[in-house]
Amino acid sequence: MKTLVVFPNKELLYAASTLGGEVAALVFSQKEAEAVSGKAHKILVAEVDPRLPDAAAEAVAKAAAGYDLVLMPSTKNAKTVGGLAAQKLGVELLVDVLSMRAEGGVLTAERYVFGNKAVATVQVSLPAVVTVAPGRFQGEPPAVQSAVEKLALAPTSRLKIVAVEEKSRGAVRLEEAEIIVSVGRGFKKKEDLQMAFELAKVLGGQVGCSRPIAADLKWLPEEHWVGLSGKKVKPKLYLAIGISGQPQHIAGILDSRIIAAINNDPSAPIFQNADYGVVEDLYKIVPILINKISKLKGG
Amino acid sequence: MKIAVLIKTALDTGQLRVRDTVVVEETPLKISDIDRNAVEEAVKLKGKDKAYGVTVLKWGPLQKKVQEAENVLREALAMGLDEAYLVADEKLLNASHIATAKAIAAVVKKVGADLVLAGEATVDNYTGQIPARVAAELGWPVITYARELKVEGGRVVARRDLEDHVEVVEAPLPAVVSVTREINQPRIPTLLAIRAAMKKPINRLTLADLGISVEPKISAAYKPLVIQRKKIVIKDGTPEEKAEKLIQYLRQEGVI
Ligand SMILES: Cc1cc2nc3c(=O)[nH]c(=O)nc-3n(C[C@H](O)[C@H](O)[C@H](O)COP(=O)(O)OP(=O)(O)OC[C@H]3O[C@@H](n4cnc5c(N)ncnc54)[C@H](O)[C@@H]3O)c2cc1C
Repeated sequence: MKTLVVFPNKELLYAASTLGGEVAALVFSQKEAEAVSGKAHKILVAEVDPRLPDAAAEAVAKAAAGYDLVLMPSTKNAKTVGGLAAQKLGVELLVDVLSMRAEGGVLTAERYVFGNKAVATVQVSLPAVVTVAPGRFQGEPPAVQSAVEKLALAPTSRLKIVAVEEKSRGAVRLEEAEIIVSVGRGFKKKEDLQMAFELAKVLGGQVGCSRPIAADLKWLPEEHWVGLSGKKVKPKLYLAIGISGQPQHIAGILDSRIIAAINNDPSAPIFQNADYGVVEDLYKIVPILINKISKLKGG
Repeated sequence: MKIAVLIKTALDTGQLRVRDTVVVEETPLKISDIDRNAVEEAVKLKGKDKAYGVTVLKWGPLQKKVQEAENVLREALAMGLDEAYLVADEKLLNASHIATAKAIAAVVKKVGADLVLAGEATVDNYTGQIPARVAAELGWPVITYARELKVEGGRVVARRDLEDHVEVVEAPLPAVVSVTREINQPRIPTLLAIRAAMKKPINRLTLADLGISVEPKISAAYKPLVIQRKKIVIKDGTPEEKAEKLIQYLRQEGVI
């Protein structure tokens, strides 16, 4: 087994090591090469701008020669690079892979499909390209001797990046939050979200939201948005308030340890996806929760 | 500017037929939601030229699903596309993504489009790889995850919405662009438009018509996800009592 890791990080290098055999890393700068030194048998350095998917894909397609598997993170840019490279190489691309195993020239991998209502077990022949879902491969890549090699390449891109705008990033890091109080369209006005922020504060958590709150109503910045097209979170406690529990929302919270929900509609699908549900008007119960929990915490 | 819009006739994940596994053959098709945004953008951008819908049927059985796929395409035609191409071939059912991209690229060449628009991903498989693959097949540049799009002087300029930042990216035409749901508000077709769409052509093609042959199929099994949650619902009592109960449970779990 020979695996090439592109955009290497600890998780990917560990994932590659679990497959056995040789692990190589493709990086796009000298600095990144230093960062993976001692964690891959071979380090290939391509001097191209990895933000340009066509140039990066050219590097990947070239570097992939002789490898059985190309592993990448499941970021939007990496998926784009993966799609381009896979078509150039004439191989399959599996994205957001949860687990995988290679045997006899065949890769068997699992991923969520159908709005996260099913798990697909997919078999493709090697070589193949895979992007790995975050948080699935936790471990230390073994220490090895690294040989560094330059990838000779004349980078070409027809894309031009005219500007880069950082997204406003408050203190919100939902992916790392231990407790998330999440709000949905059950809240009637923007000002009412204050209640959720207060509850999050007394719980020592952060505030998340469903898509309509961020994308349609724009009551909260997108960094709060949880779900299939938003953030995938894995808190100890996810408390969904006034959220109906559509599959696209649930898709973002599957890895939560405990899910609790408050909704005034007993038939809301969120109750089928929660450990603890309360059928109640959020406007009545949230103030009580704030009060009781702050007493608990404050003594 | 001639535009080809990729339309996935996706499995309706709200109506999955489930036994031990997901029965794909019995699950109805619908338009992949994000493709509506691509259609809307095409209708806005096409000017006096035509915009074509392009579908490669992925789910079988062929006979039954072709009919459903035509209904889906009628929806897109009602939104303002001029014509549609439906590639329906036994060999393309559950085909590899390589094959799907080849078939799409062949249709794009056939209609002579300058711009290919697609949704960022499809709602059933959500892999988002087809736009990039089609671009590679055509040898065109690709911009993915566009939440804003302009075409000026033979170039596309898009705001590419990535995890932590937005890139303003420029590419020469012809090009492939995938769009997000935030790019626009797809129109709801009027009754008149729906009726007019019944007369617009849907051209059915096979691989032989396109003069291509394709690789092997993907082997996949789909198991319904069993959600392992306790599903304890607190219904009775005053709001005060319910709050007390919830706090008690959450403390027992050690999460607060
Ligand atoms: C391709 C695609 C991607 C998507 N991605 C995402 C995503 O990433 N994240 C996401 O969240 N959604 C996503 N969606 C949208 C998703 O399908 C739902 O539309 C959305 O999650 C609904 O948000 P909601 O629960 O806040 O609103 P609603 O569905 O309107 O639910 C509001 C809930 O509040 C309850 N309620 C009302 N008043 C009260 C009250 N006084 N007290 C208590 N409860 C009350 C109601 O009973 C209801 O259950 C996506 C959709 C598509 C098609």
